[in-house]
Amino acid sequence: MISKRAWRCVTTALICVMIAAGCDDDVLNTVPKTTIPEEDAFSTPGKIQAQVNNLYGQLQSATFYGGRLIVFNEQRADEFGQNDGNAAAGSAVWNQNVASTSEYINNVWSAGYSAINAANILMDKLKDGNVVSDSLERLYTGEAKFVRALSYFNLVQTYAKSYYLDKDGPGLPLRVTPITGAGFNDMARSSVAEIYTQMLQDLNDAEVALPANYATATLNATRAKKATAVALKTRVYLHKGEYSNVITEAQKLVPAAPPFQYTVGNLTQRLEASVAAVFSGSYIGTEAIFTVPFANTTTETPPSQSSLAYNYLGQPIIFLAANGVVSNPVFTTPADGRSSLVSTNSANQKVLRKFSITTAPFRDFVPVIRYAEVLLNYAEAAARTNDLAKATQLLSAVRNRAHPAYVFPDASVSTQEALIETILTERRVEFVGEGFRLGDLQRLGRTIPAKVGAIGTAPQVPPTSSNYIWPIPSGEISTNKLIELNP
Amino acid sequence: MKRTFTNLLIRLADLLARPRCGLVAISLAVTTVALAQENTLTGKVSDSATGKPLSYATVLVKGTADATTTNAEGEFTLRTRAPLPVTVSVTAVGFGLLEIVANSNEPLIISLEESTTTLSEVVISSGYNVQKKESFSGSVATVSSKQLMNRPSVSFDQLLGGQATGIDIIQPTNILNNTPVMRVRGINSITSGLFPLGVVDGVTMFVGSIGGLVGNNPLSDINPNDIQTIDVLKDASAGAIYGSRAANGVIVITTKKGKPGKTRVDYDMWVSRSTPYNLPDLLSAEDYMMIKNEALVNAGKEPGYFPTLNEDGSTLNTNWYDVGFKPGFSQSHNVSVSGGTESTSYFFSVGYTNQDSYIRNNSYERTGVRFNIDQKVSKRITIGANATYSNGTNIGTNTGAIPANSMGPSTYNSEYITNEPLARMTYVLPPNVPVYRPDGSYSIQNGVSVGYGANIPAIIGTINAYNLAMVQTLDLNSSENNTLFGNVYGELEIVRNLKFRSSYGINNLQVLNKSFFNSVHGGGASSNGIARNTHTKFYRTDWVNTLSYNLTVGEKHHLYALGGYEIIKTQSDGWGASESNVTDPDYSNYQGRYTNIAPYGNFYSDNALLSYFANVNYDFNKKYLLSFNFRRDGLSALAEGNKYGNFGGVAVGWNVHEEQFFRDSFLSGVVGSLKVRASYGVVGNSEIGDYPAAGMYSSNTYGGVPTLGFSQAANPDLKWETSKKMDIGIDFTLWNDRIAIELDYYKNDVNDLILKAPQSLSAGIPGSYINSNVGSLYNQGIELGINAILINNPGFQWNTGINVSTLKNRVTSLVSDVFVPSVFGVQNMTRVGYSIGSIYAVPCHGVNPENGQMIFVNRDGREVQYNHIGSPKWTFVSDGKEAPAIDNYTDGVMQGPSLPKVFGGINNTFLYKGFDLNVNFTFVTGNLLYNGTRATNSDQRYFNNGEFIKDRWTTPGQVTEIQKLYYGDNVSAGFSFSATSKVEKGDYLKLKNISLGYNIPFARTFLAGKISNAHVFIQGSNVFTITKYRGSDPEVSINGNSIHSGKDQNVPPNAQVVTVGLNLGI
Repeated sequence: MISKRAWRCVTTALICVMIAAGCDDDVLNTVPKTTIPEEDAFSTPGKIQAQVNNLYGQLQSATFYGGRLIVFNEQRADEFGQNDGNAAAGSAVWNQNVASTSEYINNVWSAGYSAINAANILMDKLKDGNVVSDSLERLYTGEAKFVRALSYFNLVQTYAKSYYLDKDGPGLPLRVTPITGAGFNDMARSSVAEIYTQMLQDLNDAEVALPANYATATLNATRAKKATAVALKTRVYLHKGEYSNVITEAQKLVPAAPPFQYTVGNLTQRLEASVAAVFSGSYIGTEAIFTVPFANTTTETPPSQSSLAYNYLGQPIIFLAANGVVSNPVFTTPADGRSSLVSTNSANQKVLRKFSITTAPFRDFVPVIRYAEVLLNYAEAAARTNDLAKATQLLSAVRNRAHPAYVFPDASVSTQEALIETILTERRVEFVGEGFRLGDLQRLGRTIPAKVGAIGTAPQVPPTSSNYIWPIPSGEISTNKLIELNP
Repeated sequence: MKRTFTNLLIRLADLLARPRCGLVAISLAVTTVALAQENTLTGKVSDSATGKPLSYATVLVKGTADATTTNAEGEFTLRTRAPLPVTVSVTAVGFGLLEIVANSNEPLIISLEESTTTLSEVVISSGYNVQKKESFSGSVATVSSKQLMNRPSVSFDQLLGGQATGIDIIQPTNILNNTPVMRVRGINSITSGLFPLGVVDGVTMFVGSIGGLVGNNPLSDINPNDIQTIDVLKDASAGAIYGSRAANGVIVITTKKGKPGKTRVDYDMWVSRSTPYNLPDLLSAEDYMMIKNEALVNAGKEPGYFPTLNEDGSTLNTNWYDVGFKPGFSQSHNVSVSGGTESTSYFFSVGYTNQDSYIRNNSYERTGVRFNIDQKVSKRITIGANATYSNGTNIGTNTGAIPANSMGPSTYNSEYITNEPLARMTYVLPPNVPVYRPDGSYSIQNGVSVGYGANIPAIIGTINAYNLAMVQTLDLNSSENNTLFGNVYGELEIVRNLKFRSSYGINNLQVLNKSFFNSVHGGGASSNGIARNTHTKFYRTDWVNTLSYNLTVGEKHHLYALGGYEIIKTQSDGWGASESNVTDPDYSNYQGRYTNIAPYGNFYSDNALLSYFANVNYDFNKKYLLSFNFRRDGLSALAEGNKYGNFGGVAVGWNVHEEQFFRDSFLSGVVGSLKVRASYGVVGNSEIGDYPAAGMYSSNTYGGVPTLGFSQAANPDLKWETSKKMDIGIDFTLWNDRIAIELDYYKNDVNDLILKAPQSLSAGIPGSYINSNVGSLYNQGIELGINAILINNPGFQWNTGINVSTLKNRVTSLVSDVFVPSVFGVQNMTRVGYSIGSIYAVPCHGVNPENGQMIFVNRDGREVQYNHIGSPKWTFVSDGKEAPAIDNYTDGVMQGPSLPKVFGGINNTFLYKGFDLNVNFTFVTGNLLYNGTRATNSDQRYFNNGEFIKDRWTTPGQVTEIQKLYYGDNVSAGFSFSATSKVEKGDYLKLKNISLGYNIPFARTFLAGKISNAHVFIQGSNVFTITKYRGSDPEVSINGNSIHSGKDQNVPPNAQVVTVGLNLGI
C-alpha cells in the first residue's frame, strides 16, 4: 500500500505538470512560414524591389497578358473563327454572347484592378517610408504609374464605350488610393474622359520619373522606361482621337528622317530587320518597347488554356477566319516575311504561328508595345492631320521591313481617306493575334463584322448593341452598390 | 482566465492533500459502514434461451455501489454491507435488466432474456466520458455496428444515410472513396468548414477530400468492421464539450473492445459486384447523325456527320458506356481476436479490402490493423492504448466528380466541366466514331480529339473530347494514405471516485498523390506528357488531461464532474513537383525522365488549439437531470486579442416515469418511460483555415527575378463564429417498450459567420474577399425517430425504425450575394432571406411553338427568345425587336432550396427462425436539383444527346419541350447559363439496402462449441429509386460537401451492388 505522503507527492506532481503545460499559450502564436507578413513586406530595399517587380508580375496573370486578355480581344473581333465550342475555350466570347456571370468577365476586371491596387499600395508605402532613397522612390513611383495606366487602358477599352462613341458615358470606378481592408466596395464609375485624363497624367508623370534606359536589354524590354511611357501615350492619344498629341509623342521616339530609330545609352529602339525575329529568338530585341517575359518555366509560364500559342496554333482554339485579314495578299506573298507567320493545319485552316512554342511550358514572351506600333500610330495621326507624305513614309517603313521591294499602289495612299484605310489594314496585317483589332474598330465606332467559325456564325455587332462592350462583371454588381450597369 | 483556472487546481490539490478536511469526512463514512453486518451473495447467470452461462454480466446491489461481474461460468460472488433483504439487479450487454430480491445467502439462479427492446443499456459516448442514455439529456443519434456491418463500402460515413435523425448523407457518385456530403442538422457555415468533427476513441480525425483527381476520404482509414458504435452529437449540450469544433456536429466513434472471457475470433467477409444504375439513354449512331446533320442544316451548313462502317458493312455504333464501364468486383476480409481477463482486455483486428468500381481501372485497396488494449495495473491505475495503422490506395482515372482538395472549408468543383473527366466523355463522345483503328491502335485525330471517323472536321468543328479508352487506360492517378493514429492513456484514481486521466494521441496521415497524363493524347498532349507527385503530411497531436469526480450522496444525488485541458496541434506539410515533356513516350511514371520540372503542391501551415473545459452532470434519483458544459478555446488562427472564445451548453432532463404520480397514473399502463429534455448552448467553428486574419504577401518571379505581392488582406478584428444551438426533446416508450419514440425540435442560430466576405472586384483585394464576421443564418427543424417491435413471436420478429427530419435553413444577413461566377452559369446562390446555396436560374417559358426558339424571361418580366444563328440573337417575343442578352445574374431568380426540407430513413428487420431480412429505405423531399447532365445531353455541338432530343421542334405550331436544333447552340438548353428548364424536384424514395441472412445452426453438430455463430447473407444496395427526377439519381452533388449543393452535371451515376458474405465467430 502506498503511503498517503507518496500519494500526495504523485498527485501534486501530476497537477503541476498539468498546470505547467496549460500555461503554455505560446502555442497559439503560429505564423505563416510561406508568406511574408504584411507589416514586414516593405521593410527592406530588397522587398520593395520585389514589390516593384510584382507590379509587372500582375500583368503576367493568365487572364491578362498571360494570354487570355489578348485572346478575348481577338475572339471578340473578326479576324478569327472559333474551333472549340466549349464555353471554357471562350466560345461565348466569340459568339458575342457573354453574361456578367462569366468568370472571364470577372477575371479580366479583377486582374486589372489587382494590378491597379498593387500600384496604389506601393506608391503609398513609398511616399510614407524611408527604406529606399528618394531617387529610387521616384523611379519606382514612375513604374507604378505606368502599370496603373496600362491596366486602366485595358479595362476602359473592354468595359466602357470608346472615347469616340461616348466620352462622357460611364467609364470605370477610378481607384487611385490603396485598399488593404474592407469598407471600400462602393464606388461609382467615373466618365470615360476622366479615366483618360488619369491615364495621361500617370503616363506624363512616368515619363518624367522613369530612367531613359536600364543596364541590360532584358530590363529595357521588360520594365518601363521613358520610351515605354511615351509609346503608350501614342496609343492612348490615338484612342482619344487627339492626333496632334500622337504626333508630338511619337516624334520623341521617331526621328524626322530614316532610319527610324531611337537611341539613348545602351538602348536602341527600331524595327527588327526580320519580322519573324520579333516573335522568336530573344523577344527582347530592338523592336520590343515593352514585352511581358515568361522566362522562368517553373513559376511564370501561363497555363495552356490562356497561352497564345495553344489558342492560335497548338489546339488551335481559334483559327484565322477565311474572310478576315488572312485573305490579305500579304499572307500569300512569300516575299513578305509575314506570310511565314501563317500556316495551314490538318483541318485545312489557316493558323497564326507568331507564338510557336505549342508545348508547355509556354515560354513565348508576349509583346505589349512594339516600335512598329509607334510608327503606325504616328502614320495614322499624320494621315489624319493631312501629312500624307509622312504617313506614307512611316507606313512603308513597316511594310518594307517585311517586304522590302513592296511599293504601295497610288490609289491606296494618295487620298487621305484611302491612306487611313491602308494604314488600318496594315495594322490588321502587322498586329494580327496581338489583340489590336477590336480596339481599332471600337475607337472609330465601327461595327464588329459577322464572322464564320467551325462552331457556326457569330453575328455582326453594331455599336448600338448591348454586347458591343462587355457587361460589368457580376462580382462588381453584387458588391458595389454605386456601380452603374452597361446598357 | 488561465490564472483563475490554475488557482482552482492548486486549491483542489491542497484540498485533496490535506487530511484534515475532505478525507476526514470520508474516513468517518467508512467507519460507520464498517459497523454493519457483511453479507456474501453468490449465484449464477445464464441465457434464458440457450441455458448457457453468461460471463461479464453486471451484478449490483441496488442503492449501493457494491457490484461485481460474473466469471466465465456465469458465477459471481458479491459482498455487501447492506442488510438483507436486498434487491439485486443484473444486466448484460444485449440482455434485458433483471431485478430480484435476495432474502438470504442462498445462491441466486438468474436467467436473463435477450433484449428485444431497443432502448436498453444504450450508452452515449461524448469522447471525453460515457453516459447511459437514460441519464443523458442531450440530443444524440447512435448508430450501432449492426447497422453498418456487412455493407459494401470503403468508409463508414457512406453508410450513415437514413440511419438516424438529423444526419443527411449524400453519396454523390460511385467514384471509389469519394468523400460523401455529411450534414448534421443542416449547413452551419458558408465559407468555413462544413464537415462534422470526427473523433475515434479520442483521436480527432482529418475530414475532407484530399485525393486530387481520385477520391480520398481520410475517414476510410477507419475499418468499418472495427466500429462498435457511432454517436452523432447534434445539439449544443452534447457537443459543447468540443467547443469550437462542434458547429457542424460531432461524430464520436467507439471501436470494438475486448470483453473479459474466452478469446473470441471473428471472421467477416463479403464479395460484391457493382454496376451503374440508371444510365441516361443516349442516341444511337444512326439517330445521332440524323439529329446533328439536321442541326447543321438548320444552321445553314452542310451535313458533316457520316457513318463509319464495320467490316461487315453495318454501321458502326460505339457504346461509350461499355468503353468506360464494366461490372466491378470487390471483396473484403476481416479477422479480429478479442478477449480479456479481469484486469486486461484486448482487441486486435486485421482487415483487407480490395474494391473495384464499375468504372474501368478504378480500384481501391486497403490493409489495416488495429489494436485496443486496456490494463488494470493496480486497483488505482489503469492504462491503455489503441492504434490503427492503415494503408489505402485508390487508383483511377479522372472522373471530374471529385471536389477540389479540401481539408475543411467548402469547395466548388470546377473539374467536372473540363475535357478530361470520364463521365462527361461517356455522355458527349460521338457514337459514330470508332474506339480503335483497324490496326488495333487508338483512334485519335490529334492530341486532344478522338478520331473523327467519317465525320468532316471542317464542318463539325473541334471535337474537344478525348478517346476515352486511351486516357482511361493510360492516364491513371492514385492517392495513397499511410495513416497511423491512436493514443495512449493512463488513469489514476487519486482517491475513491476522483480520477485523473491523461491521454496523448497522434494522428499521422501521409498522403501520396500521383497523376500521370500521357504525351500523345489527352490532357498531357499539350505538355508532351505530365507526371505529378505530391506528398502531404497531416500531423496532429492531442494531449488531454482531465480530472473527473463521481459522487453519490445518499442514494439520490448523483454527481459527475469533469474538468480538464487539451492542446491540439495540427501541421500540414506538403511538397511535390510537376514534370512535363517526357524524354520518351514509354515512360509512365514520375521517375521517368522529363525535360521540365516545376514545383507543385507545396504548402506548409499549422495551427493550435488550447482549451480548458468542464462538464458537470447531476441527477437527482435519476429523475431530474442536469448537465453543464463549458469550454474555453484559444485558436492560433485568430488574431491577438480575439484568440479565445467561450463556449458551453446546459441541458435539463426529467425522467417522468420515475415519478410516483406517473407510475400511479393510468398512463403508466401504456407509457413505459417518458423523458423530457431541453438544451441550449453555444459552440464555434474552428475550421476557418490556419491564417485567416493575417495580412500576407507572397513571392513569385517576374522575368526570373523575385516578386512580392499582396496575397491576403488582413482582418485583425476577426473573431469566433458562433452557433447557438437549442434543442427540446421528448423520449417515450409505449406498450412495454415495444415502441420507442424520440421527438426533437432544434434551432441553430449561427452568428458572426466567418465569411470570405466578397469585396468589390474593383477594390483589387487579393481573391476579392476578406475573412470577416459578417453573416448569420439559422437551421431549424423537427426530428422524429420511431423504433417499434411490430411482431415479437418466438418464431417471428419484425422490428421497424423510422426516422424523419425536417430542415429549414435561412440566411438572415450578409453583405452581398455569395456565388461563384462561371462560364457555365450560376446554379447556386446564397442570398439573404433564402436557404443557403439555393437553386438559381433564369425563368424559361419553354419553346415558342411559332418558331421553335427557347423563351426566357428577363429582369423586366419581358419574354425574350434566343436564335443561335440570328442577328440579333436575342429578340423580344412580343415584337421581334432586338432585346438585351439574357444575363444569368441580373435576370436569374431564386428557385428554391437545394437542401431537402424533409429527409430520413425506414429500416425494417425481420427475423424468422434462423433467417434475418433487413430492408432500408431512404427518402428526401422538398429540394431542387439542377439537372446539368440533361443540359449536357441537350447540347447542340458534337455532343451526343439523350433520346429525349428526338422530340425537338420541327414544325410551326408544334408544342414541345425541346427547341429547334441549331448546330453549336449551347445556350438554349441551360448549358451556358442556368435556366428553369433544367431545374427539377429532387424528391425520392430509395431502397438503399436489402439483405437476407441466415444463421447456420451449429448447436447440434460436431462443431458446436467450436463455432459460436455463422451467418451468411446476400444483399443488394441501391436497388431502386422512386422519383420524378429525370437524371440518373437524385442523390447527387457534383460540388461535394459544399454550399453549392444540388447540382448534377457529368457525374458517373451511383452503383447498384450485390453482395454475398459470411460472418463467423469462433
